[in-house]
Amino acid sequence: MLLIIKRLWQVNWAEQWQYRANLLMYLLYWLVSPIIYLAVWTSIANQNGDVNGFTANDFTTYYMVLLICDQVTSNIVIHTFGYKIQDGSLSGELIKPIHPMLTNALINNIAFKTLSIIGFIPIWIALFFLFKPDFSNVALSGILLAIPAMIMGFFIGYLLSAAITALAFWTTRVYSIHEFYFALILLFSGQFVPLPLMPKLVQDIAQYLPFQLFLYYPIQLILGKLSTAQIIQGFASGVVWLGISMFLFNLVWRNGVKRYSAVGA
Amino acid sequence: MSHTITVEQLSKTYQVPEREGGFGAAVRSFFKRKYKDVKAVQQVDFKIEQGEIVGFLGPNGAGKTTTLKMLSGLLHPTGGKAEVLGFTPWELKPEYLRAMTLVMGQRNRLSWDIPAADSFLLNQAIYRIPDDEYKQTYKELDELLELDPLMKKPVRNLSLGERMKCEIAAGLLHRPKVLFLDEPTIGLDITGQVRIREFLREYNKRTGATILLTSHYMADVTALCERIIIIHHGQLKYDGGITDLSHKIAPFKLIGIMLTDADSHDLSKYGTPVQNEEDADKKYIQVKAEDVTRITSKLLAELPVHDITITDPPIEDVIEQAFNQ
Repeated sequence: MLLIIKRLWQVNWAEQWQYRANLLMYLLYWLVSPIIYLAVWTSIANQNGDVNGFTANDFTTYYMVLLICDQVTSNIVIHTFGYKIQDGSLSGELIKPIHPMLTNALINNIAFKTLSIIGFIPIWIALFFLFKPDFSNVALSGILLAIPAMIMGFFIGYLLSAAITALAFWTTRVYSIHEFYFALILLFSGQFVPLPLMPKLVQDIAQYLPFQLFLYYPIQLILGKLSTAQIIQGFASGVVWLGISMFLFNLVWRNGVKRYSAVGA
Repeated sequence: MSHTITVEQLSKTYQVPEREGGFGAAVRSFFKRKYKDVKAVQQVDFKIEQGEIVGFLGPNGAGKTTTLKMLSGLLHPTGGKAEVLGFTPWELKPEYLRAMTLVMGQRNRLSWDIPAADSFLLNQAIYRIPDDEYKQTYKELDELLELDPLMKKPVRNLSLGERMKCEIAAGLLHRPKVLFLDEPTIGLDITGQVRIREFLREYNKRTGATILLTSHYMADVTALCERIIIIHHGQLKYDGGITDLSHKIAPFKLIGIMLTDADSHDLSKYGTPVQNEEDADKKYIQVKAEDVTRITSKLLAELPVHDITITDPPIEDVIEQAFNQ
């Protein structure tokens, strides 16, 4: 299995390099919204002194860390895999003795992210000098905790996106379903607005959804804003969601493959 | 004795959405979609022994590819059973997938953006092929298909024929026991076609692999297969030896002639006129094979012929004629 992963990595890494210009465009597109939220919120906080207790530096540090977490936990599987189900190019992968979505597509996503993180580093440094966040409260322990949390967030997000992508076995409208799902992420992950600034109801709902595990939870870990109880609670809910998303993905995939029509050649 | 491939009452019905053209129909179909059942394969039965090479023939849309897709596990049937090497194909068990191959079309096993060599190494890992066995197989494939010069170019820069060679090689690296080949020689020039045929025969002889192949070229089938299965409108029409088949199918030839003032001659007294859309400059008539020499000399003597060709009618037409009556 290790050799398979190594070779899959080599192939996908080479492939991503072929598309590096495309990848840079993707990266810039991906960064636009969080940078806008960062700029808007800090300028509002600067004018008013704070927003519900959030100072300008709170916003700056929040969004600067969010940019990193977003790079690590997001995925593009809907774009790299959805069309294969629809146009029949999945056929070649389906008859190979490895799982198409849990091996090749997964490693393809990781290769994409690795390369895009390399492109992201200089942008982040530039933003750092532009917005000058004060990270004096960040501790190493927070960062060390955030790493497994982000990896967990990535896998939950990947499996949920993969489950939605596999809906392409039933419908050709799978992209709009994913857009809706993406809107939920935007709202409940703490990207649009840091969760504590949301109405109480939204915060309560967010507690029961997996989306805060993608951004809000690892951000708070890095910024050292969580109590021990909250940290344990976050990891526990991550493990539960990992199980749920694996179950959901398997359910959709197993039933979907039965409907596959292998169109085209 | 157990068979390598057993197919019983295998059926596949596709549900195809359909609607009329126009705005009204588009709106109506938004609320209530109509589906039409297309019976691609209907209750097909056959058994194939280990080591057989069987030609799978039929006109376009007859259900050949659908059957191959079910046997390789890509499609779930709507009815019936199939067993290959003791596995139910559509369960997609890794042990089954490692023991068979499906070569179909142009873009299956190779990633387009990278050289074929990288995809080959990936397949080596995926199929768990030991290094020495991989090297040996690659050497054999290279001797027959001349792969070396193609290995380092990105696959998208290869020609159709070159890509097909790489696809076939990629599909055989793991030395499968069962080969499903859908049009394995399509896009290849004559030398390429002959090479692939020789290779498949050799592979079959050496490994005892079972091969089921479809082809548009009668030559593929006559060169390789002793047994033919014909399927038409999703139903099995013939299963037997190739020599018996040629008795069943009246042997015809196609004579194509280019004439000055083509429309003013009545060709029906020489043979049955046939349409050929690909070559509109020529007029085509179909004659019995035994009459070819006689009719050709008659044509040359009586008509202002510029050019004349004698060919075999397309395999589809022959089958259409033999089994559609």
